[in-house]
Amino acid sequence: MNHQHPKQFRLLAIALTCRGLGYAVLEGEESLIESSHMSVRKGDKNEKCLAKVETLIKFYQPEVLVLQDVRAKGSRRALRIKRLYRAVVRFARKQKIKVELISEAQLRTLLLGDPRGTKHEIAEMIAKLFPDELALRLPPKRRAWESADSRMDIFDAVALAVAFRMRER
Amino acid sequence: MSSLPLTNYLRTNRKRLAFTQEEVAFLLGSRGESKGAKVCRHEKFTCESKLRTALAYEVIYQKPVRDLFAGLYRQIEQEVAERAKILSLRKDLNPSQRTAYRRQVLAGLAARQTEQSLNPTQK
Repeated sequence: MNHQHPKQFRLLAIALTCRGLGYAVLEGEESLIESSHMSVRKGDKNEKCLAKVETLIKFYQPEVLVLQDVRAKGSRRALRIKRLYRAVVRFARKQKIKVELISEAQLRTLLLGDPRGTKHEIAEMIAKLFPDELALRLPPKRRAWESADSRMDIFDAVALAVAFRMRER
Repeated sequence: MSSLPLTNYLRTNRKRLAFTQEEVAFLLGSRGESKGAKVCRHEKFTCESKLRTALAYEVIYQKPVRDLFAGLYRQIEQEVAERAKILSLRKDLNPSQRTAYRRQVLAGLAARQTEQSLNPTQK
């Protein structure tokens, strides 16, 4: 891995999900500029998500775009998400933005030191890392019969950004 | 893509304090338009805030204006440095102690541009 980025560079991490997307913008070593999620319910979800990604990239002008590696071994992402992922990568490369991929296993290993850690453990760790920005947005632990809280998209995106920073160090 | 700071960090600071745009608009004393519209425009960089509003943001977010408007500050700093460079090249008809001091100040201002171009990521 090359370590050529200046310490202050801005990165955008996007977590593509079945409900829409979560995103986080990190600047400097540990400065969380923005983190939010966007829900897409009706119509062409990919088209709407891609439009949002384009807006985010144009607004924040990041140097690096961090995404989850949907082609990694063991990844079980839906075909629609894989298509969206390809479209996002294509757009980012067109804008001359470096795209970095982090697999789910790599993410868990980097953040928790255990490839079998849970999403909620990651979210708790992220909330501790950014208490002012995220502590109040941490959803309660999901029970087996509940679907994932949409706020988890934010934590997924921030986790990608933090894991990338950790990998770069 | 650049690693220059964003024009402003108003949205980041508002979210840090968990304020809504309407609440900030109220604190700013905005009147006569839809709630929070002006704050939204500032946060989206579609319009620049007036000096009074910028100072009010400093009070609300408890951060200096140059940090809140980091990108704008950087841009203005560059412009001033360029003008300082031009001014320092002008010949003085009556050189004196005062002009020597002025030259020193101008050289300092012009040097900021050089520092910025060497170190563009520094806030």
